[in-house]
Amino acid sequence: MSSTSSTAELSDVTLRSGIDRSLRHPVMFFLTSAAAWLAVSILLAIVASVKVHWPQFMDDCEYASYGRVFAAHTNTLIYGWGFQAGFGVLIWLMARMSRQECRAAGTILTAGHVWNLVVSLGTLGLLDGRGTGMPWMEFPAFVWPGLLLCYLTIVVWSFIQFRVRKGERTHVAQWYLLAAMIWFPWIFITANGLLFCASGHPLMAAAINAWFKSALMFLYFIPIALGTAYYLAPKLSGRPIPSTSLARLGFWSLAVVAPWAGMQKLAGSPLSGVFLPYLGAAATALLAIPLVTAAANILRTIFSSEEKLPKSPALHFTLAGLMGLLLLAVAAIALNLPGSSLKLTQFSISGYGFEILALYGCFSFMMFGAVYFIVPRITCSEWVSSRFINMHFFFSVYGIVAIAFGALFGGFIQGSAQEAWLQPWESVTDVVRPYAAVSTFAWCVILFSNIFFFIHLAMMWMGLGRRDSNPILLDSPADMSAPIPQPNP
Amino acid sequence: MSVPSEPADSSQPAVATAVPPGHAVVAREKQIPENGNEIISLWPTTIICGALLLLAGFILDYGGDHLSYGSLFREGYVRRTPPGSVATPLPPKTALEAYMARGKKVFEGKCITCHGPDAKGNGSTYPSLVGSAWANGETERFAMIILNGLQGKISNGRIYGVMPPQGIGMTPEELAGIMTYVRNYFGNTKGDVITSEMAKAAMKISAARKNAGQSVTAEELTADHVKALPGNPVDATTLVDPLTLEPVQAAAATAPAKAPVPGAAVAPAASPAPKTP
Repeated sequence: MSSTSSTAELSDVTLRSGIDRSLRHPVMFFLTSAAAWLAVSILLAIVASVKVHWPQFMDDCEYASYGRVFAAHTNTLIYGWGFQAGFGVLIWLMARMSRQECRAAGTILTAGHVWNLVVSLGTLGLLDGRGTGMPWMEFPAFVWPGLLLCYLTIVVWSFIQFRVRKGERTHVAQWYLLAAMIWFPWIFITANGLLFCASGHPLMAAAINAWFKSALMFLYFIPIALGTAYYLAPKLSGRPIPSTSLARLGFWSLAVVAPWAGMQKLAGSPLSGVFLPYLGAAATALLAIPLVTAAANILRTIFSSEEKLPKSPALHFTLAGLMGLLLLAVAAIALNLPGSSLKLTQFSISGYGFEILALYGCFSFMMFGAVYFIVPRITCSEWVSSRFINMHFFFSVYGIVAIAFGALFGGFIQGSAQEAWLQPWESVTDVVRPYAAVSTFAWCVILFSNIFFFIHLAMMWMGLGRRDSNPILLDSPADMSAPIPQPNP
Repeated sequence: MSVPSEPADSSQPAVATAVPPGHAVVAREKQIPENGNEIISLWPTTIICGALLLLAGFILDYGGDHLSYGSLFREGYVRRTPPGSVATPLPPKTALEAYMARGKKVFEGKCITCHGPDAKGNGSTYPSLVGSAWANGETERFAMIILNGLQGKISNGRIYGVMPPQGIGMTPEELAGIMTYVRNYFGNTKGDVITSEMAKAAMKISAARKNAGQSVTAEELTADHVKALPGNPVDATTLVDPLTLEPVQAAAATAPAKAPVPGAAVAPAASPAPKTP
């Protein structure tokens, strides 16, 4: 490690660690509270999933009725875990890449607390039966202005940092992060404004809601995931991103195509612009272009390294996230073929499988990778146990594979059963029951995997990380043979 | 902490090789290199993107007649029987119910704007239909008023506004429905059913009027049209198909079709004997 030969390099290290220090409180706050919300969301997912195949479960408790619990599960997953993990990673990455220290850590931290308060209130209101009934926007209507204000307060500093960045060139990762920062308020204001302030025809409201879900996925979560991967890949491999022009193609095709997607959920409905659902289906299928080009570019960055890369947790999770991304691209085509699959996905669980694949299989894995990369830097200590990370990694992968395949294929089976209209509707639930049971099991596996993540993150947060300078690697048993780390006084 | 290699001790004199204590993680980071400038390989990219664009066009094509509202929402739309299924007729209703249900729709589309939701008019420009001698009287006279509109005096001798003709685009079933509805609702209790056959005759008569195209007047009505419309009266309790308004036999309504030939016309043997003359 004593390779810092020049003073220039030393000052660079000082700058970077200065940035890390300036952000340590907000970033750590976002990552830990995000992890806590992830735990809440997974528990709710298990309850909701159990109720699909065992409806008598907790049926005397109105707060645990399926409609409320399932809505609370998706909303905490998005606004509790997804957004906060995104905030933590985004503000850190933007500060690092703009080479600017954060000067508003206190404001960001305050806004982060308010965000948690608002999400908690929304979740409680939702469980109390005051939800709006619109997927991904189920929090009572008073919540969304609060979320928007917090969002702006948290993110505006990263925008300023980008404006006053050092260095002329921008990195690909910055494009995606900056775009996500700008796109989110647009999506959020449009959807909430049209649905809660200027509400129109209820059928159109359903279409707008479907658009919001898709836009939030592909114009917010996926860009943040891609930005993170575009940062981590060259950072971990030390290799350049091979093709800027391919990155440009991927970025702009996402920007052009993604806003059209979403309304395929309403295919076959008497929406007055009947072409809109088919436009949505076509756009979603076309999303394979940005997703595959980005994945190809990032994978080539990682694998172009001549030397064998150390198996760092960040690399593992990023690679898994990229696999999720490619699977998402395949699913985007496979679920949107009119005449065969499109009509099977309208009222089936395959839509849920697609969303979980995007939110957990792609986005969350990238976030885990970033967490494993960032946290040692801001806590100035190393992860304690590679066994914990391995448990987190493998069981998360098993869990998400089970959910994604179970829900996607189960959705097809369910859709086909629904199409057999001469059969009683009840038979559809019999057909889908095993897949719901698989989903319950998979969520339990994911909970199990994340217990290791939570404990590990909490140890780092409490200052129990290792203080030596050996990075944790997943293929070396070094930390196993090392004495159990004592809390450093 | 037996590893001696890391002197994380700030008391050490600051030399050029020192790293701020606790920042070993940051120090071992690799620098992000400049983005590469490899050119996109033309053919693979074009082929993949082109294939996906073709697929997208194929999906979009399923939208059909994209913006043509009229071709998608046809007037008088009747649900198509899905392929491979046995046509199951809707449960029959009594003639009075079926015709009145049809008439209610027409009333709410056409009549309600002037005569009001309770059919009482407004007393000045729009007359009441409740207890009206012409509405409850001879069927041909009533049909002529609906089809052609009315000007001048009405049955009670008073003059209201000019009623525009309503017959344009109206089907016989709709005319029969609206007449039956008005004569049996809003306090009118005539109890008879004007069949679509009678309504068809009324349309023929209306087209053959001397001054066709003009609204009828009280004089013309009393001179030419104080008659009952030709056609067999139907008992109010006869069971009819709610869509076609054709009478169905009780046996045909309860027993499923014996010859399930998909898509083919109903076998003549199974169809009820035609009752029309």
